[in-house]
Amino acid sequence: MSNVAAAAAFAQVPKKGFDWFPYVVALFSGIILVVFLIYPIGKTALYSFVKLDDELTLGNLTFANFLNFVEVPLYRDAFWNSITVALWTTLVSVLLALPAAYAVARVDIPFRTFLMTFSIIPLIAPPFIGAFSWIILFGNQGMVRRYFDMIFGIDLPTIYGPVGIVLALSLHYFPFVFLFTQGALAAADPFIEESAHIMGARRSRIMRSITFPLVIPAIGAGAVLVFVRTLGNFGVPAVLGKEFMVLPTLMVYQINGYFNLNAASAIALANVALTLIAVFFLARIQRRRRFITVTSTTRASKRHTGRGAKIAANAYVWCLFFLAVLPQIIVVFYSFAERWAGSLWPQRMGFGNYIHIFTELTEPIFNSVYLAGGATLLAIFFGTLAAYISQRKRFFGKWALDMTIMLPFIMPGIITGVAFLTTFNTGWIVLTGTASIIMLAYFIRRLAYIFRAVSAAISQVDSKIDEASTICGAAWGYTMRRVTIPLVAPGILAGGILVFSTLIIELSITIMVYSAEWQTMSILMFEQLLDDEIEYATATGSVAIILTMTLVFMASRLIGKSMAEMFR
Amino acid sequence: MPEHVLTLQGLSKIFSTERGPITAVDGVDFEVRGDEFFTMLGPSGCGKTTTLRMIAGLETSTSGTILFDGEDFTRFSAFRRNIGMVFQSYALFPHMTLFENAAYGLRIRGLESAVIKQKVDKILALLGLDELAGRYPADLSGGQQQRVSIARALVYDPGMLLLDEPLANLDAKLRVEMREEIRRIQKELGIMSIYVTHDQEEAMSVSDRMAVFNLGQLMQAGHPEEVYADPTSLFVADFVGKANFFPAHVASRDKTGAKASLGSGHELTLKRLNPVRESELGEIEAGYDATVMVRPEHVEIGPPGNGGLAYQVRRIQFLGSFIRYVGTCSDATREVIVDSRRAVPGIVEGSEASLAIHPADAKLFHKGDVA
Repeated sequence: MSNVAAAAAFAQVPKKGFDWFPYVVALFSGIILVVFLIYPIGKTALYSFVKLDDELTLGNLTFANFLNFVEVPLYRDAFWNSITVALWTTLVSVLLALPAAYAVARVDIPFRTFLMTFSIIPLIAPPFIGAFSWIILFGNQGMVRRYFDMIFGIDLPTIYGPVGIVLALSLHYFPFVFLFTQGALAAADPFIEESAHIMGARRSRIMRSITFPLVIPAIGAGAVLVFVRTLGNFGVPAVLGKEFMVLPTLMVYQINGYFNLNAASAIALANVALTLIAVFFLARIQRRRRFITVTSTTRASKRHTGRGAKIAANAYVWCLFFLAVLPQIIVVFYSFAERWAGSLWPQRMGFGNYIHIFTELTEPIFNSVYLAGGATLLAIFFGTLAAYISQRKRFFGKWALDMTIMLPFIMPGIITGVAFLTTFNTGWIVLTGTASIIMLAYFIRRLAYIFRAVSAAISQVDSKIDEASTICGAAWGYTMRRVTIPLVAPGILAGGILVFSTLIIELSITIMVYSAEWQTMSILMFEQLLDDEIEYATATGSVAIILTMTLVFMASRLIGKSMAEMFR
Repeated sequence: MPEHVLTLQGLSKIFSTERGPITAVDGVDFEVRGDEFFTMLGPSGCGKTTTLRMIAGLETSTSGTILFDGEDFTRFSAFRRNIGMVFQSYALFPHMTLFENAAYGLRIRGLESAVIKQKVDKILALLGLDELAGRYPADLSGGQQQRVSIARALVYDPGMLLLDEPLANLDAKLRVEMREEIRRIQKELGIMSIYVTHDQEEAMSVSDRMAVFNLGQLMQAGHPEEVYADPTSLFVADFVGKANFFPAHVASRDKTGAKASLGSGHELTLKRLNPVRESELGEIEAGYDATVMVRPEHVEIGPPGNGGLAYQVRRIQFLGSFIRYVGTCSDATREVIVDSRRAVPGIVEGSEASLAIHPADAKLFHKGDVA
């Protein structure tokens, strides 16, 4: 009888069989990725080899769309303009950021934490609205230009054209280089420089042979990020470029003007090729990243305390960051100007613009929240599952999943937009004009961010904690629910908030796939700018900036990182 | 070549912090000569590392002087100070090969590349690293990295080698090997060395002389055996080696010694009174409370009774060459440790026993908070 009881008890323990879970999740994720990532990319690539209005058949394949880059001046110029603008923006960003990074890491600067938080404002504000501030200041009727004309009789050049674009983008993106480099400088083992000092090296030699070589990977990572972002940026050249076209503006021109998806696909492919080259360089630099020593010591690097160094560093850093947030300040200021026409100062200030957008234009705001929210939830669900199996399970084909999911990282948003538009306009799945196409494009574009955030959170939780729960007798689901998820929840949530905050003002994808019925906040802002309804655009922009800041602040509180660290 | 002398006189360091000034080093004096291996020992925050960093020129002193061969060392440039230093974290240059790490100091000194090659090869061979010259620090084990940092510090024939807890990141076995290796090379090159550690066993095993620090002050300096056998303060007695403390009452006192009674009334005639500090000496007078310190090997354990101190064994540890008894004694406030060469028959964990203190080996201190 006791045998029977024992057998019955034994029967309740599930047999340890084949672990099917990772395969089910991988298959599921695989289908999603194939339908909404691989298929659009593939179809876009194929489309670029077919002429407008031709069927997609073997016989119709042609290089005609790419020959445009040789034969048509508009294409050729846009291609070289893109490269020139991206290179200059990268160079200017690095030059602006390096002294600031060194100053903040190595010189006594008051309100350091505040400054670091300050530095991310340009990164989370929509760049095209910032570009508009430069028009307010330096445009044909710009405030600063008019003051200069009035007081000094000097006719300043306008902000339009390549110089203005480079300036606006550099001031917008240099915080990437700043944050990376400052982080590397601050985390460097101070004893390394001390030991060089003891051996008799002078400060300039230490800088040249130790300090600088050690932060090169960080500078490189920041620089490549700036380069890639600039290549994919649509808003700033659209606002400041006028006749000066770059690849993203040319893409939109081809679609809005001629609905030439084939030409747009070819332009997208050219853009991706440039991005790939940059990412290849990044990979080469990153291979040296193992040289970065992160020390456990609590001793901070020695800071310059000389009066001259302090004054110079403070002056530079505060001026630079003031300039960087100036566009946002202008935006907020302008949003309170109810009437401002042809005068140096607004004729009437008040909340009128806000009342207008919150009464007349609630739908785009609601749309943005709905689309960004839906995409974020989708990304959290798939991103977390995929990150979990990628970090904790071994299965065949894992590398393919990892690689595919990270793919959107190297695709500018506007490319995702073109790919979705091209793919889901005709064929098996038609989504053009629906909310789904926007939401899915957002989701695919941001999935990698959640995947990375959750992977980082999971890798920080010792897998032995999971095993301890299993050994206590918990089933997989119970362990997941009571142990794993609670431990990584802050990471998931913070990643989700960050994704949501960037999507709510997303322009590059949206401009490609939105429809009149599904207008978003960013599109509204963009159209208000084009229609010269600057006061409403700035009010909408201010709401977006404050909303984003609040969300990022919440996320940073949630995972106990400073706001600046979240962008490193 | 004349013998080098490093002299510290009244060296102090006061850090100003948000919560007010903190005295990290408080009037430290000592002298190191020739190829001496000198160790600064103490608990964390005792000022030993700050003292080392002041010698290295990484911190400036608030007051006092550091003289090298009679000259003010603090006025020298790092180059002229010509120091080799080994850090706890090794501080290797991660972007340079092992060879380039070792060559760094020579390159600063502007030597020809042929000379650099020859000198680096020689020092790498001395440390058994010649095979690894082309590797990067990230490819080396902790012990190898430590050797590289020693090679890098010695290659330009420094006048003095400073070592800041160099073995703290190594595992126990490697630590013992490396400390012998450091001493071997140091003696071979005949280089003055100043070593910082918080491990008293390490300090005792490698040093020619050691200085025990506490709360920024140098408590005692001397040969390891001297410091162990004849501590001049309760702190040193407690920090260096194991010690038992018994609160006592001084019954009488004359020029040759004192009679002290323990809590149970047991009376000891002590010949060794703490000699150094005048102010404390004044307190060891008839009628005062005091503390008797005795090392574990100077306490004898026996069967209960016998007129000894009542002792109850809690734990017996077999430590190879000797046996350690740990237990309670009503005369002491802390547990009393007895190290015996042989096990005493009939005494097991939980047994009642008795202790006998050899008065000749016990030392009378002023009353302190250790007992």
